[in-house]
Amino acid sequence: MSKPVLQIEKLSKSYSLGKRNVPALSNLSLTVNAGEFVAIMGPSGSGKTTLLNVIGCLDKPTSGQVLLDGIDVSKLPENQLYKIRRDKMGFVFQTFNLLPYLNARENVELPMEGRIKSKSERKKRASELLAMVGLSGREGHRPQRLSAGEQQRVAIARALANNPAIVLADEPTGNLDSQNKQEIIKLLANLNITQGTTIIMVTHDGQAAHHTERMLLLKDGKIINEKQGTHLMKKNHTCPHCGSSIQMSDDTCPTCKKPIYSSDEPFSA
Amino acid sequence: MSIMVSIPAGVLANQQTASTVASNLSNVISQTSASINQTATQIDCSLAPSFSGFGFGSGSGGSGSGPSFVFGGGSASGRSGFTPGQFGGGTVTGQFGGGAFNGGQSSPMNESLYTDINSTISGVAVVEPILQASEGQNVTTTLSFNGYTRDITRLDVEYTIEGIPLTASLVDNYPILPTNITAGSNLQAGDSGVVLLSENNSAYFGAGVGDAITILNQTFTVAGIYSPSSVSDTQTLYMNLSDAQAITNNTGYITSLTVFAQNSDVVSQVATSISSVHPELTVTTDQDRLNQLQTLQSTYNTELANAQASDSQTYSTAVEEIIVVVAATSLIVLFVMLYTVRERTKEIGTLKAIGFSNLTVMGQFMLEGILLSMIAGVVGIVIGSIAAPTLSALLLPSVGIGSRSATGAVIVSGTTRISGLSVATLSPELILLAFGAAILLGTLGSLYPAWRAAKIRPAEAMKYE
Repeated sequence: MSKPVLQIEKLSKSYSLGKRNVPALSNLSLTVNAGEFVAIMGPSGSGKTTLLNVIGCLDKPTSGQVLLDGIDVSKLPENQLYKIRRDKMGFVFQTFNLLPYLNARENVELPMEGRIKSKSERKKRASELLAMVGLSGREGHRPQRLSAGEQQRVAIARALANNPAIVLADEPTGNLDSQNKQEIIKLLANLNITQGTTIIMVTHDGQAAHHTERMLLLKDGKIINEKQGTHLMKKNHTCPHCGSSIQMSDDTCPTCKKPIYSSDEPFSA
Repeated sequence: MSIMVSIPAGVLANQQTASTVASNLSNVISQTSASINQTATQIDCSLAPSFSGFGFGSGSGGSGSGPSFVFGGGSASGRSGFTPGQFGGGTVTGQFGGGAFNGGQSSPMNESLYTDINSTISGVAVVEPILQASEGQNVTTTLSFNGYTRDITRLDVEYTIEGIPLTASLVDNYPILPTNITAGSNLQAGDSGVVLLSENNSAYFGAGVGDAITILNQTFTVAGIYSPSSVSDTQTLYMNLSDAQAITNNTGYITSLTVFAQNSDVVSQVATSISSVHPELTVTTDQDRLNQLQTLQSTYNTELANAQASDSQTYSTAVEEIIVVVAATSLIVLFVMLYTVRERTKEIGTLKAIGFSNLTVMGQFMLEGILLSMIAGVVGIVIGSIAAPTLSALLLPSVGIGSRSATGAVIVSGTTRISGLSVATLSPELILLAFGAAILLGTLGSLYPAWRAAKIRPAEAMKYE
């Protein structure tokens, strides 16, 4: 069994809205192992984004413990946290959040600026990452000259820049058409398998969630349900329907001809 | 904002002009004061010229009370540059019907008799004993009148020796020597055996600096040559008093005393004291010259007061305008940068989410603010160099100046407007100053927005609009 990269113990987070104290997360515990691909689902206001923010050191928990790669980040001050975000975290946003005045390669280089002194080394790694997400030859293009799917690929390459322990993706397919949606989710799944990248993804999209290996349902700040995703079967090269052997690249089972990924809502009531 | 930055440059240029006018006038005033002090404290003392009157009378010429005339002014020094047109220095000796006159040249005085001027009369700063002797050829002409003929022998002056005491206290502090040296050097305290020649002397002796010349059988080295400041000076050569006394066989004798009073206020008192102690002396102060200088001085003072009033007015206007501009520029940078930070909240959040420190973010925005104001500064300097004269003329009170005529008199023209003429030519210093100010203002104005940027929560990156 691989070692845990994220351990959350009795995490609570509440916001004060005027006089009212609004709980966003209450007494939540979660462990994610290295190399896992996890989907966090749940209705609006269930605390998905708050959880992601706390994991990503963008927000501080009210109580509880968050161990990232063995480091208790709930106690760290801001002047330490930025290094954790830079070295241990990769962020993929719903709206891509690329800097419009920088080209694709420069956007990917950004997180490396504080870590890698040599400009040529950063450049080299950025080009490699862009090739990995299928954008070789597009290094010099600014975001406005890239399609939405391409922009999200650049964002994914940027998230991978510092070899993070965890990639946090907040609705990465939320702003994409169905074809780009498919490509991005496959890219993430692929990176999880080929690079062993731990990915935690918040999503509304059940179809996308099926591409992960663990699906968590969040409600009122608590994890109320957990299901296995199809991705785990694929990792084991087993068809979820007939149990016969399948390849990584297969969308449908070569034996039973059924689509490998289900399009059902995983937590439909 | 560019225009804002250009205004202080124009204002400063104008301010400089006003200051220059005032400071130039101050210099003129202090120079005039120095002249007044030198002139005003000077008292010339000599024995009354011992000329007996002469006349053409019937009978034996004697001590008739005929028309008397005076040649020369004795020891006309002409050193201060304000000498009224005296001429002379000539010595006329004549014999006329038994009558003799020795006009012009002051009678020799026994130096030792006058040591009390320095020691007992209060208000005396220093006493300069002078021996003046003219040398030349005697020329005899014959005059006839009513059948009488008389030979008149006249000295055709070739040069005049002026012996002055070359003591440090006199040489260093009083205008006892010519100042307009054209070759070589002036006489120094303690010099002996050297002379300072006028240009005419130099031609007469055919000698230049460093040459040896013979004066009354004594050899002297030429130390320097001066250009006389008045016509009375053209044939005067200067040497140490003791040298002059020795070669003219006048050891212990002088021809005049120049007394310097401690200040101009005590001059008349000192002059009176000298007259009462030594009634035989003719005592002259330069009241006329003094009056003239004092009139000039008061004109200058009025001018200065005008210039200073303009200057201070300009100064306060300039200061006010600069403060306004500084504040306005800072505020503009502040608001532009605050707006920028607001607009780019999400970008800043993203930068922080992907691992930029607060310090880096703050630095980034400071840099942007400074860059913004630097660009504004450059544009401002360009606009300022074109528009500053017009701008400052519009914004500032006019500066009154007087102009000096060629004769040195001051024509008061208090309302002269000098806009455009000497206002606001942007010097490199001003350009640097404006640019420096732009950077400073940019820094000031972007400090708070940059701090705001640094304080943006990285979770802002997660917000979607």
